[in-house]
Amino acid sequence: MQIYLPIAELSMNLFFLVGIGGAVGFLSGLFGVGGGFLLTPLLIFSGVPAPVAVASVTGQVVAASTSGALSYYRRGGIDLHLAMYLVLSGVLGAFGGVATFSALNVAGHLDLVISVGFLVLLGFVGTLMLVEAIRAMLKRRAGVVVREKLPNQHNWIHGLPMRIRFKRSRLYISVLPVIGIGLCIGFVGSLLGIGGGFILVPALVYLLRVPGNVVIGTSLLQVVAMMAVTLVLHAVTNQSVDILLAFCLMVGGTVGAQFGASAGKYLRGEQLRAMLAVLVLAVAIRFGLTLVLPPADLYSMAVAAGGLR
Amino acid sequence: MRRLRQLLLLPLLLLFAVLPAQAERLVSTVSRSEVAITSSFSGEVLTFFGNIEPEAGAAQRFVEGPFHVIITITGPLQDRVARRMTNNLGIWINTEQVLFERFPSYYHVLSDTRLTEITDPVTLAELDIPLPAQADVSAGEQWWNAYAFGNELVRLMVKEGLFGLNEQGVVFRSETFYLAQIELPSDVVPGTFLARTYLFKHGELIAERADRFSVRKIGFERFLGLAAEQQPLLYGLAAVLLALFTGWLGGVVFRR
Repeated sequence: MQIYLPIAELSMNLFFLVGIGGAVGFLSGLFGVGGGFLLTPLLIFSGVPAPVAVASVTGQVVAASTSGALSYYRRGGIDLHLAMYLVLSGVLGAFGGVATFSALNVAGHLDLVISVGFLVLLGFVGTLMLVEAIRAMLKRRAGVVVREKLPNQHNWIHGLPMRIRFKRSRLYISVLPVIGIGLCIGFVGSLLGIGGGFILVPALVYLLRVPGNVVIGTSLLQVVAMMAVTLVLHAVTNQSVDILLAFCLMVGGTVGAQFGASAGKYLRGEQLRAMLAVLVLAVAIRFGLTLVLPPADLYSMAVAAGGLR
Repeated sequence: MRRLRQLLLLPLLLLFAVLPAQAERLVSTVSRSEVAITSSFSGEVLTFFGNIEPEAGAAQRFVEGPFHVIITITGPLQDRVARRMTNNLGIWINTEQVLFERFPSYYHVLSDTRLTEITDPVTLAELDIPLPAQADVSAGEQWWNAYAFGNELVRLMVKEGLFGLNEQGVVFRSETFYLAQIELPSDVVPGTFLARTYLFKHGELIAERADRFSVRKIGFERFLGLAAEQQPLLYGLAAVLLALFTGWLGGVVFRR
Protein backbone atom coordinates (compact mmCIF):
# COMPACT_ATOMS: atom_id res chain seq x y z
CA MET A 1 0.00 0.00 0.00
CA GLN A 2 1.56 3.24 -1.13
CA ILE A 3 1.40 6.33 1.04
CA TYR A 4 2.32 9.80 -0.16
CA LEU A 5 4.78 11.68 2.06
CA PRO A 6 3.95 15.37 1.64
CA ILE A 7 7.31 16.84 2.69
CA ALA A 8 9.57 14.24 1.11
CA GLU A 9 7.29 14.60 -1.93
CA LEU A 10 7.33 10.98 -2.93
CA SER A 11 5.25 7.94 -2.19
CA MET A 12 6.53 4.90 -0.35
CA ASN A 13 5.12 1.60 0.75
CA LEU A 14 3.41 1.98 4.13
CA PHE A 15 4.30 -1.56 5.23
CA PHE A 16 7.92 -1.04 4.28
CA LEU A 17 8.09 2.09 6.46
CA VAL A 18 6.34 0.50 9.45
CA GLY A 19 8.49 -2.59 8.88
CA ILE A 20 11.87 -0.87 8.99
CA GLY A 21 10.59 1.23 11.91
CA GLY A 22 9.67 -2.00 13.69
CA ALA A 23 12.93 -3.77 12.90
CA VAL A 24 15.04 -0.85 14.06
CA GLY A 25 12.71 -0.41 17.07
CA PHE A 26 13.30 -4.06 18.00
CA LEU A 27 17.04 -3.48 18.01
CA SER A 28 16.70 -0.25 19.94
CA GLY A 29 14.55 -1.95 22.57
CA LEU A 30 17.06 -4.79 22.74
CA PHE A 31 20.11 -2.59 23.17
CA GLY A 32 18.60 0.52 24.80
CA VAL A 33 19.64 2.89 22.02
CA GLY A 34 17.48 5.14 19.85
CA GLY A 35 18.24 3.41 16.59
CA GLY A 36 18.60 6.59 14.54
CA PHE A 37 22.07 5.55 13.42
CA LEU A 38 20.48 2.61 11.56
CA LEU A 39 17.26 4.22 10.42
CA THR A 40 18.72 7.37 8.83
CA PRO A 41 21.03 5.49 6.42
CA LEU A 42 18.25 3.01 5.62
CA LEU A 43 15.88 5.81 4.62
CA ILE A 44 18.48 7.63 2.56
CA PHE A 45 19.24 4.34 0.84
CA SER A 46 15.52 3.92 0.01
CA GLY A 47 15.39 7.25 -1.78
CA VAL A 48 14.25 9.71 0.89
CA PRO A 49 16.17 13.00 0.50
CA ALA A 50 18.92 13.17 3.16
CA PRO A 51 17.62 16.33 4.92
CA VAL A 52 14.10 14.85 5.23
CA ALA A 53 15.44 11.51 6.45
CA VAL A 54 17.64 13.06 9.13
CA ALA A 55 14.89 15.39 10.39
CA SER A 56 12.08 12.83 10.36
CA VAL A 57 14.07 10.09 12.08
CA THR A 58 14.42 12.56 14.95
CA GLY A 59 10.68 12.17 15.52
CA GLN A 60 10.95 8.39 15.56
CA VAL A 61 13.79 8.56 18.11
CA VAL A 62 11.66 10.76 20.41
CA ALA A 63 8.82 8.25 20.31
CA ALA A 64 11.01 5.17 20.74
CA SER A 65 12.91 6.72 23.66
CA THR A 66 9.78 8.06 25.38
CA SER A 67 8.30 4.64 26.14
CA GLY A 68 11.68 3.45 27.39
CA ALA A 69 12.29 6.53 29.51
CA LEU A 70 8.81 6.27 31.09
CA SER A 71 9.32 2.69 32.17
CA TYR A 72 12.73 3.55 33.67
CA TYR A 73 11.20 6.55 35.42
CA ARG A 74 8.58 4.36 37.08
CA ARG A 75 11.37 2.11 38.33
CA GLY A 76 13.34 5.09 39.64
CA GLY A 77 16.08 4.56 37.08
CA ILE A 78 16.59 8.22 36.17
CA ASP A 79 18.88 10.76 37.82
CA LEU A 80 16.82 13.88 37.13
CA HIS A 81 19.49 16.23 38.48
CA LEU A 82 22.16 14.83 36.17
CA ALA A 83 19.70 14.68 33.27
CA MET A 84 18.88 18.37 33.74
CA TYR A 85 22.53 19.39 33.24
CA LEU A 86 22.90 17.08 30.26
CA VAL A 87 19.68 18.33 28.65
CA LEU A 88 20.45 22.02 29.07
CA SER A 89 23.93 21.71 27.60
CA GLY A 90 22.63 19.30 24.97
CA VAL A 91 20.06 21.85 23.80
CA LEU A 92 22.84 24.41 23.37
CA GLY A 93 24.81 21.88 21.34
CA ALA A 94 21.76 21.09 19.24
CA PHE A 95 21.42 24.74 18.19
CA GLY A 96 25.00 24.61 16.93
CA GLY A 97 24.39 21.29 15.22
CA VAL A 98 21.29 22.42 13.33
CA ALA A 99 22.99 25.65 12.24
CA THR A 100 25.98 23.65 10.97
CA PHE A 101 23.58 21.26 9.23
CA SER A 102 21.99 24.13 7.27
CA ALA A 103 25.34 25.67 6.39
CA LEU A 104 26.74 22.35 5.15
CA ASN A 105 23.58 21.64 3.20
CA VAL A 106 24.04 24.91 1.33
CA ALA A 107 27.76 24.32 0.74
CA GLY A 108 27.18 20.79 -0.59
CA HIS A 109 29.34 19.03 1.98
CA LEU A 110 26.49 17.55 4.02
CA ASP A 111 26.86 14.04 2.61
CA LEU A 112 30.59 14.00 3.27
CA VAL A 113 30.26 15.24 6.84
CA ILE A 114 27.49 12.76 7.58
CA SER A 115 29.53 9.89 6.12
CA VAL A 116 32.78 10.81 7.86
CA GLY A 117 30.93 11.64 11.08
CA PHE A 118 29.21 8.27 11.16
CA LEU A 119 32.42 6.49 10.22
CA VAL A 120 34.56 8.07 12.94
CA LEU A 121 31.91 7.93 15.66
CA LEU A 122 30.60 4.46 14.97
CA GLY A 123 34.05 3.03 14.33
CA PHE A 124 35.43 4.47 17.54
CA VAL A 125 32.50 3.62 19.78
CA GLY A 126 31.98 0.22 18.16
CA THR A 127 35.60 -0.80 18.69
CA LEU A 128 35.57 0.38 22.30
CA MET A 129 32.39 -1.50 23.07
CA LEU A 130 33.52 -4.67 21.33
CA VAL A 131 36.84 -4.74 23.18
CA GLU A 132 35.12 -4.12 26.50
CA ALA A 133 32.43 -6.74 25.88
CA ILE A 134 34.89 -9.42 24.75
CA ARG A 135 37.06 -8.74 27.78
CA ALA A 136 34.02 -9.16 30.04
CA MET A 137 33.07 -12.40 28.28
CA LEU A 138 36.59 -13.83 28.63
CA LYS A 139 36.66 -12.92 32.31
CA ARG A 140 33.35 -14.62 32.89
CA ARG A 141 34.57 -17.71 31.10
CA ALA A 142 37.73 -17.67 33.21
CA GLY A 143 35.52 -17.68 36.27
CA VAL A 144 36.28 -14.19 37.51
CA VAL A 145 33.33 -12.57 39.26
CA VAL A 146 32.32 -9.60 37.14
CA ARG A 147 31.54 -6.54 39.19
CA GLU A 148 28.14 -5.16 38.33
CA LYS A 149 29.16 -1.66 39.26
CA LEU A 150 32.29 -0.08 37.91
CA PRO A 151 35.00 0.57 40.47
CA ASN A 152 35.11 3.85 42.29
CA GLN A 153 38.43 4.52 40.69
CA HIS A 154 38.86 8.19 39.97
CA ASN A 155 40.32 9.49 36.75
CA TRP A 156 41.49 12.99 35.81
CA ILE A 157 37.91 14.07 35.20
CA HIS A 158 37.13 13.72 38.88
CA GLY A 159 39.80 16.27 39.74
CA LEU A 160 38.11 19.17 37.93
CA PRO A 161 36.67 22.13 39.87
CA MET A 162 32.99 23.16 40.36
CA ARG A 163 31.92 19.91 41.91
CA ILE A 164 28.26 19.08 42.41
CA ARG A 165 26.63 16.19 44.22
CA PHE A 166 24.35 13.98 42.10
CA LYS A 167 22.46 11.99 44.76
CA ARG A 168 20.85 9.24 42.76
CA SER A 169 24.02 8.51 40.83
CA ARG A 170 25.99 8.67 44.10
CA LEU A 171 28.50 10.94 42.42
CA TYR A 172 30.29 14.09 43.58
CA ILE A 173 31.90 15.41 40.43
CA SER A 174 32.61 18.59 38.50
CA VAL A 175 29.83 19.88 36.22
CA LEU A 176 32.34 20.75 33.49
CA PRO A 177 32.64 17.24 31.98
CA VAL A 178 28.87 16.79 32.29
CA ILE A 179 28.26 19.99 30.32
CA GLY A 180 31.00 19.07 27.84
CA ILE A 181 29.44 15.66 27.17
CA GLY A 182 26.00 17.28 26.81
CA LEU A 183 27.29 19.83 24.30
CA CYS A 184 29.07 17.20 22.20
CA ILE A 185 26.09 14.82 22.13
CA GLY A 186 23.74 17.68 21.28
CA PHE A 187 25.92 18.89 18.43
CA VAL A 188 26.69 15.50 16.92
CA GLY A 189 23.18 14.15 17.45
CA SER A 190 21.40 16.98 15.69
CA LEU A 191 23.99 17.06 12.91
CA LEU A 192 23.79 13.34 12.16
CA GLY A 193 20.13 12.80 13.08
CA ILE A 194 20.92 10.33 15.83
CA GLY A 195 19.88 10.34 19.46
CA GLY A 196 23.40 9.82 20.60
CA GLY A 197 22.39 7.17 23.13
CA PHE A 198 25.10 4.84 21.94
CA ILE A 199 27.74 7.53 22.63
CA LEU A 200 26.13 8.89 25.79
CA VAL A 201 25.88 5.54 27.58
CA PRO A 202 29.60 4.72 27.25
CA ALA A 203 30.51 8.34 28.07
CA LEU A 204 28.46 8.25 31.29
CA VAL A 205 29.78 4.83 32.26
CA TYR A 206 33.46 5.19 31.44
CA LEU A 207 34.06 8.92 31.91
CA LEU A 208 31.71 9.88 34.75
CA ARG A 209 31.37 6.44 36.39
CA VAL A 210 27.59 6.74 36.59
CA PRO A 211 26.24 3.50 38.11
CA GLY A 212 24.57 1.02 35.77
CA ASN A 213 21.07 1.23 37.27
CA VAL A 214 20.56 4.88 36.26
CA VAL A 215 22.68 5.08 33.11
CA ILE A 216 20.16 3.86 30.55
CA GLY A 217 17.17 5.73 32.00
CA THR A 218 19.07 9.01 32.31
CA SER A 219 20.46 8.62 28.82
CA LEU A 220 16.99 7.90 27.41
CA LEU A 221 15.53 10.99 29.08
CA GLN A 222 18.36 13.08 27.71
CA VAL A 223 17.75 11.65 24.23
CA VAL A 224 14.01 12.42 24.41
CA ALA A 225 14.59 16.04 25.42
CA MET A 226 17.43 16.60 22.98
CA MET A 227 15.70 15.04 20.01
CA ALA A 228 12.46 16.91 20.77
CA VAL A 229 14.38 20.20 20.60
CA THR A 230 16.24 19.07 17.48
CA LEU A 231 12.95 18.11 15.85
CA VAL A 232 11.54 21.59 16.40
CA LEU A 233 14.78 23.20 15.19
CA HIS A 234 14.79 21.08 12.03
CA ALA A 235 11.14 22.01 11.42
CA VAL A 236 11.89 25.72 11.81
CA THR A 237 15.21 26.03 9.99
CA ASN A 238 14.99 23.42 7.24
CA GLN A 239 11.26 22.65 7.08
CA SER A 240 12.29 19.11 6.35
CA VAL A 241 10.30 17.19 8.97
CA ASP A 242 7.87 14.83 7.29
CA ILE A 243 5.31 14.17 9.99
CA LEU A 244 3.69 11.28 8.10
CA LEU A 245 7.03 9.58 7.49
CA ALA A 246 7.95 10.07 11.14
CA PHE A 247 4.58 8.72 12.29
CA CYS A 248 4.88 5.53 10.19
CA LEU A 249 8.33 4.93 11.65
CA MET A 250 7.11 5.71 15.19
CA VAL A 251 4.27 3.21 15.05
CA GLY A 252 6.60 0.46 13.92
CA GLY A 253 9.32 1.63 16.27
CA THR A 254 7.34 1.70 19.52
CA VAL A 255 5.86 -1.75 18.87
CA GLY A 256 9.22 -3.18 17.86
CA ALA A 257 10.90 -1.65 20.90
CA GLN A 258 8.57 -3.50 23.28
CA PHE A 259 9.40 -6.85 21.71
CA GLY A 260 13.08 -5.94 21.68
CA ALA A 261 13.00 -5.07 25.37
CA SER A 262 11.43 -8.42 26.30
CA ALA A 263 13.86 -10.30 24.04
CA GLY A 264 16.71 -8.51 25.80
CA LYS A 265 15.88 -10.22 29.08
CA TYR A 266 17.10 -13.55 27.71
CA LEU A 267 20.58 -12.25 26.94
CA ARG A 268 23.43 -11.30 29.24
CA GLY A 269 24.68 -7.73 29.37
CA GLU A 270 28.05 -8.32 27.76
CA GLN A 271 26.48 -10.44 25.03
CA LEU A 272 24.12 -7.60 24.22
CA ARG A 273 26.97 -5.12 24.19
CA ALA A 274 29.05 -7.33 21.91
CA MET A 275 26.15 -7.68 19.48
CA LEU A 276 25.51 -3.94 19.51
CA ALA A 277 29.22 -3.34 18.94
CA VAL A 278 29.23 -5.63 15.90
CA LEU A 279 26.14 -3.86 14.55
CA VAL A 280 27.69 -0.43 15.08
CA LEU A 281 30.93 -1.53 13.43
CA ALA A 282 29.06 -2.96 10.44
CA VAL A 283 27.37 0.39 9.83
CA ALA A 284 30.74 2.13 10.22
CA ILE A 285 32.36 -0.18 7.66
CA ARG A 286 29.49 0.42 5.27
CA PHE A 287 30.07 4.18 5.50
CA GLY A 288 33.82 3.71 5.22
CA LEU A 289 33.47 1.73 2.02
CA THR A 290 31.39 4.43 0.33
CA LEU A 291 34.18 6.89 1.06
CA VAL A 292 37.03 4.70 -0.13
CA LEU A 293 35.61 2.66 -3.01
CA PRO A 294 35.42 4.44 -6.36
CA PRO A 295 31.81 5.59 -6.84
CA ALA A 296 29.69 4.07 -9.60
CA ASP A 297 28.95 7.58 -10.82
CA LEU A 298 31.30 10.50 -10.34
CA TYR A 299 28.46 12.94 -10.74
CA SER A 300 25.51 13.46 -8.48
CA MET A 301 22.74 16.02 -8.28
CA ALA A 302 20.63 17.65 -5.63
CA VAL A 303 17.98 20.31 -5.37
CA ALA A 304 19.71 23.45 -4.13
CA ALA A 305 18.62 24.57 -0.67
CA GLY A 306 15.58 26.80 -0.86
CA GLY A 307 15.20 25.34 -4.33
CA LEU A 308 11.62 25.65 -5.52
CA ARG A 309 10.92 28.75 -7.54
CA MET B 1 0.97 55.10 -31.92
CA ARG B 2 -0.55 51.93 -30.64
CA ARG B 3 -3.87 52.65 -32.21
CA LEU B 4 -2.13 53.34 -35.52
CA ARG B 5 -0.48 49.93 -35.39
CA GLN B 6 -3.80 48.29 -34.71
CA LEU B 7 -5.32 50.08 -37.65
CA LEU B 8 -2.54 48.82 -39.88
CA LEU B 9 -2.79 45.29 -38.55
CA LEU B 10 -6.49 44.91 -39.14
CA PRO B 11 -6.42 44.85 -42.96
CA LEU B 12 -3.44 42.51 -42.82
CA LEU B 13 -5.36 40.06 -40.67
CA LEU B 14 -8.34 40.27 -42.98
CA LEU B 15 -6.07 39.60 -45.92
CA PHE B 16 -4.74 36.42 -44.32
CA ALA B 17 -8.18 35.20 -43.50
CA VAL B 18 -9.37 35.63 -47.05
CA LEU B 19 -6.32 34.05 -48.64
CA PRO B 20 -7.01 30.51 -49.83
CA ALA B 21 -3.50 29.45 -48.87
CA GLN B 22 -2.94 26.35 -46.74
CA ALA B 23 -3.57 27.35 -43.14
CA GLU B 24 -3.74 24.73 -40.44
CA ARG B 25 -4.89 25.09 -36.92
CA LEU B 26 -3.90 22.90 -34.03
CA VAL B 27 -6.47 22.02 -31.42
CA SER B 28 -4.98 20.35 -28.37
CA THR B 29 -5.84 19.49 -24.81
CA VAL B 30 -4.73 17.51 -21.78
CA SER B 31 -6.81 14.75 -20.23
CA ARG B 32 -6.67 16.46 -16.82
CA SER B 33 -6.00 20.07 -16.04
CA GLU B 34 -5.40 19.29 -12.40
CA VAL B 35 -3.65 16.32 -10.90
CA ALA B 36 -4.48 15.95 -7.23
CA ILE B 37 -1.94 14.49 -4.86
CA THR B 38 -3.77 12.57 -2.15
CA SER B 39 -2.39 10.17 0.43
CA SER B 40 -2.61 7.30 -2.03
CA PHE B 41 -0.94 9.17 -4.90
CA SER B 42 1.50 6.92 -6.70
CA GLY B 43 1.90 8.67 -10.01
CA GLU B 44 -0.60 9.52 -12.72
CA VAL B 45 -1.00 8.85 -16.41
CA LEU B 46 -1.84 11.89 -18.51
CA THR B 47 -3.04 11.87 -22.10
CA PHE B 48 -2.42 14.66 -24.55
CA PHE B 49 -4.49 14.70 -27.67
CA GLY B 50 -5.32 17.04 -30.46
CA ASN B 51 -6.46 17.49 -33.99
CA ILE B 52 -5.16 19.40 -36.96
CA GLU B 53 -7.87 21.20 -38.86
CA PRO B 54 -8.29 24.06 -41.33
CA GLU B 55 -7.92 27.55 -39.94
CA ALA B 56 -11.27 28.98 -38.87
CA GLY B 57 -12.86 30.75 -41.79
CA ALA B 58 -10.49 29.25 -44.31
CA ALA B 59 -11.89 28.11 -47.63
CA GLN B 60 -10.39 24.63 -47.59
CA ARG B 61 -12.40 21.80 -46.05
CA PHE B 62 -9.55 19.53 -45.09
CA VAL B 63 -5.87 19.70 -44.36
CA GLU B 64 -3.14 17.77 -46.05
CA GLY B 65 -0.17 16.22 -44.31
CA PRO B 66 2.06 14.61 -43.62
CA PHE B 67 2.11 16.24 -40.22
CA HIS B 68 4.54 15.71 -37.40
CA VAL B 69 3.97 16.56 -33.77
CA ILE B 70 6.47 17.21 -30.99
CA ILE B 71 5.18 17.65 -27.44
CA THR B 72 7.39 18.91 -24.63
CA ILE B 73 6.25 18.73 -21.01
CA THR B 74 8.11 20.96 -18.57
CA GLY B 75 7.67 20.68 -14.81
CA PRO B 76 8.15 23.36 -12.15
CA LEU B 77 11.57 25.03 -12.16
CA GLN B 78 14.04 24.51 -9.33
CA ASP B 79 17.60 25.47 -8.57
CA ARG B 80 19.60 22.29 -8.89
CA VAL B 81 23.28 21.55 -8.40
CA ALA B 82 25.41 19.01 -10.19
CA ARG B 83 28.40 17.77 -8.21
CA ARG B 84 31.50 15.86 -9.15
CA MET B 85 33.44 13.56 -6.85
CA THR B 86 37.19 13.46 -6.91
CA ASN B 87 39.63 11.30 -5.02
CA ASN B 88 41.43 13.23 -2.35
CA LEU B 89 44.00 11.22 -0.43
CA GLY B 90 42.00 8.04 -0.99
CA ILE B 91 38.66 9.53 -0.03
CA TRP B 92 35.98 10.21 -2.59
CA ILE B 93 34.28 13.51 -1.92
CA ASN B 94 32.26 16.10 -3.83
CA THR B 95 34.75 18.81 -4.68
CA GLU B 96 33.18 20.68 -7.57
CA GLN B 97 29.64 21.81 -8.03
CA VAL B 98 27.78 23.95 -10.56
CA LEU B 99 24.45 25.55 -9.78
CA PHE B 100 21.79 25.56 -12.47
CA GLU B 101 19.14 28.11 -11.71
CA ARG B 102 15.58 27.61 -12.87
CA PHE B 103 16.19 24.07 -14.04
CA PRO B 104 13.09 21.99 -14.85
CA SER B 105 12.24 19.32 -12.30
CA TYR B 106 10.61 17.34 -15.10
CA TYR B 107 11.09 17.46 -18.86
CA HIS B 108 9.85 14.95 -21.39
CA VAL B 109 9.82 15.18 -25.15
CA LEU B 110 7.38 13.08 -27.16
CA SER B 111 7.25 12.88 -30.93
CA ASP B 112 5.70 10.68 -33.60
CA THR B 113 9.00 9.91 -35.31
CA ARG B 114 12.68 10.71 -34.96
CA LEU B 115 13.30 14.38 -34.24
CA THR B 116 15.94 14.56 -36.97
CA GLU B 117 13.37 13.45 -39.52
CA ILE B 118 10.86 16.06 -38.37
CA THR B 119 13.02 19.12 -38.75
CA ASP B 120 16.61 20.34 -38.78
CA PRO B 121 18.74 20.62 -35.62
CA VAL B 122 18.84 24.41 -35.81
CA THR B 123 15.06 24.71 -35.56
CA LEU B 124 15.03 22.20 -32.70
CA ALA B 125 17.71 24.16 -30.86
CA GLU B 126 15.92 27.47 -31.42
CA LEU B 127 12.81 26.01 -29.83
CA ASP B 128 14.93 24.67 -26.89
CA ILE B 129 13.55 21.20 -27.54
CA PRO B 130 16.66 18.99 -27.02
CA LEU B 131 17.18 17.71 -23.48
CA PRO B 132 20.64 19.30 -22.97
CA ALA B 133 19.15 22.69 -23.89
CA GLN B 134 17.37 22.68 -20.52
CA ALA B 135 20.65 23.37 -18.69
CA ASP B 136 21.46 27.05 -19.01
CA VAL B 137 25.19 27.23 -19.61
CA SER B 138 25.59 30.98 -19.58
CA ALA B 139 27.36 30.70 -16.23
CA GLY B 140 29.97 33.39 -16.83
CA GLU B 141 33.61 32.67 -17.55
CA GLN B 142 33.47 29.01 -16.63
CA TRP B 143 31.00 28.18 -19.37
CA TRP B 144 32.87 25.02 -20.46
CA ASN B 145 32.60 23.67 -16.93
CA ALA B 146 28.91 24.52 -16.83
CA TYR B 147 28.51 22.84 -20.20
CA ALA B 148 30.09 19.59 -19.02
CA PHE B 149 28.17 19.62 -15.72
CA GLY B 150 24.95 20.50 -17.57
CA ASN B 151 25.26 17.42 -19.77
CA GLU B 152 25.93 15.23 -16.73
CA LEU B 153 22.96 16.73 -14.91
CA VAL B 154 20.69 15.95 -17.87
CA ARG B 155 22.10 12.40 -17.96
CA LEU B 156 21.30 11.96 -14.24
CA MET B 157 17.79 13.33 -14.73
CA VAL B 158 17.25 10.83 -17.57
CA LYS B 159 18.50 8.04 -15.32
CA GLU B 160 15.96 9.06 -12.66
CA GLY B 161 13.20 9.10 -15.27
CA LEU B 162 12.62 12.81 -14.72
CA PHE B 163 13.86 13.68 -18.20
CA GLY B 164 13.17 11.67 -21.30
CA LEU B 165 12.83 11.55 -25.03
CA ASN B 166 10.32 9.19 -26.59
CA GLU B 167 10.34 9.35 -30.37
CA GLN B 168 7.36 7.01 -30.60
CA GLY B 169 5.40 8.77 -27.88
CA VAL B 170 2.96 10.49 -30.21
CA VAL B 171 0.65 8.23 -32.16
CA PHE B 172 -1.47 9.42 -35.09
CA ARG B 173 -4.85 7.70 -35.00
CA SER B 174 -5.84 9.26 -38.30
CA GLU B 175 -4.24 11.69 -40.73
CA THR B 176 -4.89 14.52 -38.33
CA PHE B 177 -5.76 13.13 -34.90
CA TYR B 178 -2.89 12.38 -32.54
CA LEU B 179 -2.59 10.96 -29.05
CA ALA B 180 0.28 10.90 -26.53
CA GLN B 181 0.66 9.60 -23.00
CA ILE B 182 3.07 10.32 -20.19
CA GLU B 183 3.34 8.82 -16.76
CA LEU B 184 4.05 11.27 -13.97
CA PRO B 185 6.14 9.53 -11.30
CA SER B 186 5.10 9.58 -7.63
CA ASP B 187 8.02 11.84 -6.69
CA VAL B 188 6.92 14.52 -9.16
CA VAL B 189 7.43 18.07 -7.90
CA PRO B 190 4.05 19.74 -7.34
CA GLY B 191 3.42 22.90 -9.33
CA THR B 192 2.40 24.10 -12.77
CA PHE B 193 3.37 22.01 -15.77
CA LEU B 194 3.55 23.40 -19.27
CA ALA B 195 2.90 21.18 -22.28
CA ARG B 196 3.97 22.72 -25.58
CA THR B 197 2.79 21.12 -28.79
CA TYR B 198 4.65 21.91 -32.00
CA LEU B 199 3.15 21.03 -35.37
CA PHE B 200 5.55 20.50 -38.26
CA LYS B 201 4.95 20.01 -41.95
CA HIS B 202 7.79 19.48 -44.41
CA GLY B 203 10.26 20.49 -41.72
CA GLU B 204 8.53 23.81 -41.05
CA LEU B 205 6.90 24.79 -37.79
CA ILE B 206 3.35 25.69 -38.78
CA ALA B 207 1.51 25.84 -35.49
CA GLU B 208 2.24 25.85 -31.78
CA ARG B 209 0.06 25.43 -28.74
CA ALA B 210 0.63 25.62 -25.02
CA ASP B 211 -1.49 23.78 -22.48
CA ARG B 212 -1.08 23.96 -18.75
CA PHE B 213 -1.90 21.54 -16.02
CA SER B 214 -1.14 21.69 -12.36
CA VAL B 215 -0.09 19.06 -9.89
CA ARG B 216 -1.27 19.97 -6.41
CA LYS B 217 -1.42 18.40 -3.03
CA ILE B 218 -4.98 18.47 -1.78
CA GLY B 219 -6.70 17.84 1.52
CA PHE B 220 -4.54 16.60 4.35
CA GLU B 221 -1.33 16.51 2.28
CA ARG B 222 -1.84 20.14 1.30
CA PHE B 223 -2.56 21.07 4.89
CA LEU B 224 0.65 19.41 6.10
CA GLY B 225 2.74 20.97 3.35
CA LEU B 226 1.40 24.44 4.10
CA ALA B 227 1.75 23.99 7.85
CA ALA B 228 5.40 22.94 7.52
CA GLU B 229 6.09 26.03 5.42
CA GLN B 230 4.01 28.69 7.10
CA GLN B 231 3.84 27.60 10.75
CA PRO B 232 7.14 25.75 11.15
CA LEU B 233 7.27 26.26 14.93
CA LEU B 234 3.78 24.93 15.54
CA TYR B 235 4.41 22.13 13.07
CA GLY B 236 7.58 21.14 14.93
CA LEU B 237 5.84 21.25 18.31
CA ALA B 238 2.99 19.16 16.92
CA ALA B 239 5.52 16.61 15.68
CA VAL B 240 7.09 16.46 19.16
CA LEU B 241 3.69 16.01 20.83
CA LEU B 242 2.78 13.29 18.36
CA ALA B 243 6.07 11.50 19.06
CA LEU B 244 5.68 11.78 22.85
CA PHE B 245 2.09 10.58 22.65
CA THR B 246 2.94 7.64 20.39
CA GLY B 247 5.79 6.64 22.67
CA TRP B 248 3.61 6.90 25.77
CA LEU B 249 0.78 4.98 24.12
CA GLY B 250 3.17 2.24 23.03
CA GLY B 251 4.37 1.90 26.60
CA VAL B 252 0.81 1.80 28.02
CA VAL B 253 -0.51 -0.69 25.47
CA PHE B 254 2.30 -3.15 26.06
CA ARG B 255 2.61 -2.76 29.83
CA ARG B 256 1.49 -5.79 31.69
